[in-house]
Amino acid sequence: MTPVRALIAVLGLASADAGTAAEAPAPEHAAGQAVYAKWCAPCHAPGVTHPGTHALMTKYQGIKSGVLLDWNDLPAVTVKYWVRHGISVMPHFRKTEISDAELDQLAAYLARNTPGG
Amino acid sequence: MRVAPGVRPTDFASALGEFERVVGKDWVFTSDADLDLYRDAYSPFLNEPEERTASAAVAPSSTEEVQQIVRIAGRYKVPLYPISTGRNLGYGGSAPAYSGSVVLDLKRMNRILEVSEAGAYALVEPGVSYFDLYRYIQERKLKVWIDCPDPGWGSVVGNALDRGGGYTNANYRNHFDSHCGMEIVLPNGELLRTGMGAIPGAQTWQQYKSGCGPWVDGIFSQSNFGVVTKMGFWLMPQPEAYLRGAVSVPRYQDLMPLVETLNLLENSRITTGFPDLSSPLLGYPPIGQLQLLIERGPPAISDAHRQLLGGAALGFSPELEAFGVRSGIPYWELFLSYYGPMEVVDAQWQATQRHFARIAGAKFRVVDRTPLPVDPARIEDYHEAEHGVPSLRVFSIGARTPWNPTPSKGHMWFSPIIPRTGEAIIEANRVFGEAARSLEMPLFRTFTLPACFWERSFIFILATPVTEDPAVNRRYREGFKKLIEVGGRHGWGEYRTAPVFQKSVMDVYSFNDHALQRFHATLKDAIDPDGILSPGRYDIWPRHLRGKHA
Repeated sequence: MTPVRALIAVLGLASADAGTAAEAPAPEHAAGQAVYAKWCAPCHAPGVTHPGTHALMTKYQGIKSGVLLDWNDLPAVTVKYWVRHGISVMPHFRKTEISDAELDQLAAYLARNTPGG
Repeated sequence: MRVAPGVRPTDFASALGEFERVVGKDWVFTSDADLDLYRDAYSPFLNEPEERTASAAVAPSSTEEVQQIVRIAGRYKVPLYPISTGRNLGYGGSAPAYSGSVVLDLKRMNRILEVSEAGAYALVEPGVSYFDLYRYIQERKLKVWIDCPDPGWGSVVGNALDRGGGYTNANYRNHFDSHCGMEIVLPNGELLRTGMGAIPGAQTWQQYKSGCGPWVDGIFSQSNFGVVTKMGFWLMPQPEAYLRGAVSVPRYQDLMPLVETLNLLENSRITTGFPDLSSPLLGYPPIGQLQLLIERGPPAISDAHRQLLGGAALGFSPELEAFGVRSGIPYWELFLSYYGPMEVVDAQWQATQRHFARIAGAKFRVVDRTPLPVDPARIEDYHEAEHGVPSLRVFSIGARTPWNPTPSKGHMWFSPIIPRTGEAIIEANRVFGEAARSLEMPLFRTFTLPACFWERSFIFILATPVTEDPAVNRRYREGFKKLIEVGGRHGWGEYRTAPVFQKSVMDVYSFNDHALQRFHATLKDAIDPDGILSPGRYDIWPRHLRGKHA
């Protein structure tokens, strides 16, 4: 095992990466899921080939999943903040890209497992 | 409310009111929160007062609306700054070149007007991203490929107008060269079509590029003479098969014949895919494997190897070379890609090997040989863009990974063009390496290889990070400008740059007392005398602002 692969195993990154099968959203989240698929998934889908996921896996070191869809502590207000402000190399998104209405749908979708989300 | 520079507040308010009547209230943005979304997310002026920002933004949905907005702006002398998808990160993003301009956000103009499988072309509006065009083609199962840069959310039109590049066959990689036909709103609001599109009822707008008479398309790229609202592009018919081969050579001096032979084969169209130069001995990966390395971490090297690398100058020491020969680690490895029928790519690869075999010790291996398209489930095993598949994987550069615990705030691309020779690679490393060291710039710290996007020349595309520290960013900005000057003194120039560096870059293009820049100014005065469109873009200013801006 190379040092890099050993590191991944020790940190549990590989397991944090697995197990997020594509799920069919509840009907009320279909629109939010579509926004996610178009704008978020290219960086936040499961696996280290998605830079947002890799960054979050690195940040949380196996304490929680690097995949946003797995989170149950992601309030809608937090989603909206990061989409409009960006972080690190993730830029902010304009309203011509993700409108306020679409952002509401996206935030509700990502917060669907968050109590009081 | 912010106000555009040089415009009376009452006139600005009137202009905004008229914009609203054209596009609707929802698509004119004036609040600070909304205008923050037009900041350049990778601005090297992060948290500094010099950051270039918008005074308002207006987002039309049609060419007719663009015409009306441009005419209104003309009446009130309001500077507009058109953006397509605004994702030109590292080259300026969505922020205006002239601070206080009104951003003309064309993202809503996202119609794919035509994709012809039989004709292998597309006609699109500026808000169409590579993702959009790719999805459209996939949904309809059309057998054509796009050629995309690494970030898939960029505008097909905008990237071509900024003269970006991609990764498939040579005649598609240069995105401006692969366009065919434009529609442009001129600064007076008039509509222009170029090439065959100038014929009413044109039958070959996307089939013949230049029409008759002067071919003006070029002046609408990297410029500010019009708002391009439609653009045609030639697409590659989906190839039957793909072959990726690697040529490796053992010695430092082999770089010279390696590049010479590559040029002969590429200029003869024997090899047509993206040539990808690497150095296993120097630990310099090919671009096609860069993302894998970032994702999986750098390969382990022995202590002896590391020590020898530390003692090399310009990537060379006799001991390092001897170590490479002894250990079977090639000095240089060139990856070559071929698209076409299997029997054709096999024959191309065979001819390729015959030509490179003149270099003593050259070795060959087939990295991949597969029918196309590859299984979508396997696409991540590849550099997606070499298969015409857009992604955002490249953003792993600078992002947090186990090997990069301190993510950056963005980057500015330093991207000079140099000659297509091995000697030029070494000379550029010497010149830029010395300059970068004295300027404390994080570039050329080790021997650096250029990329082969363009035929006939090399290009370095090097990320200079944007950090949280204004003092560091200031040093990097000043160092960046100095590197541009140093390149210019050696006859090298940037291919493209962010607004903050456009004056420095254009100053290098100074033959005959800046004849080219003076010609640009002459055009500006003739086409846009009031400077309505993108003042300052590529250092082209209207008369009343000329010479007053850095």
